[in-house]
Amino acid sequence: MNRAKLIFNQTLMISTAILFGMGIRTAILFVTAGEYMISWQWYIPLSIIAVGFLCALASLILYDDSATGKVNMRVRVCLHCILVLAIVSLSGHFFNWYSSLAEYLIIVIMYIIIYAFVWIATVWMLKVDEKKINDAISEIRDEE
Amino acid sequence: MKVTINKAESYENESAVINAVAVTDEIRNAVDILRNNGASIPVISEGDTLMIRASSIYYIESVDKRTYVYTKDDCHETKYRLYELEEILGVNFLRCSKAMIINIKKIRSVRAELNARLSAELLNGERLIISRGYVKDLKKKLGVI
Repeated sequence: MNRAKLIFNQTLMISTAILFGMGIRTAILFVTAGEYMISWQWYIPLSIIAVGFLCALASLILYDDSATGKVNMRVRVCLHCILVLAIVSLSGHFFNWYSSLAEYLIIVIMYIIIYAFVWIATVWMLKVDEKKINDAISEIRDEE
Repeated sequence: MKVTINKAESYENESAVINAVAVTDEIRNAVDILRNNGASIPVISEGDTLMIRASSIYYIESVDKRTYVYTKDDCHETKYRLYELEEILGVNFLRCSKAMIINIKKIRSVRAELNARLSAELLNGERLIISRGYVKDLKKKLGVI
């Protein structure tokens, strides 16, 4: 997969995840405070895509082919987590996604849940693929 | 042995079925040839040219415009380029990075990495990386897509 396609796919996935998070937040507001209507500034949908794109750029540090070893990869995942949180926080401030510390903390909690969910889903899919490939290899493998 | 050849409509539909009482060496050789493993390639070893059977190759690597063929315990140089070897060696060989071809039948197991690459352990214990861009090709060859 070339980098442009990778960034495009990541932008779509991250933008969808942000929309999902905002959807959950508005649903909670509806249940707890009975708010039926949500009004957004004109630039909010565009800001979601812009943040998705910036986070996709950050994910390039994970998909660097020169990265080898478990420790290196774990360090990169930690760096990625912090970098994406910084992008979300700064963009959120710039685009007025939050106006108080409490709202910011809700966004941080949403981010942590989504980030953890994405990694759990990714590792699960990788392990499913790994098992399928190993099963197929064992059928054609030469004898040692 | 009675041999029957039926005309196939396309190359994708080509197949061979062998009905045998036992899997003898002759039948193994025939199967190897049908699967392109019967191919041999010339390599240079200590100044001499040797022929190496495809089925004994573990992987092939290109370093500084030179191509090296790795078997279980040895490494030989060949004059072929990787793209030429891909055509000669056939279906059991897979391009696993820009500079490497791997024999799928020599992979003991693979382990998925977080950045979507695969780490492949070969039957001789060596570990190679299958780059993210070639994982899909491996899945296609193994029929797991």
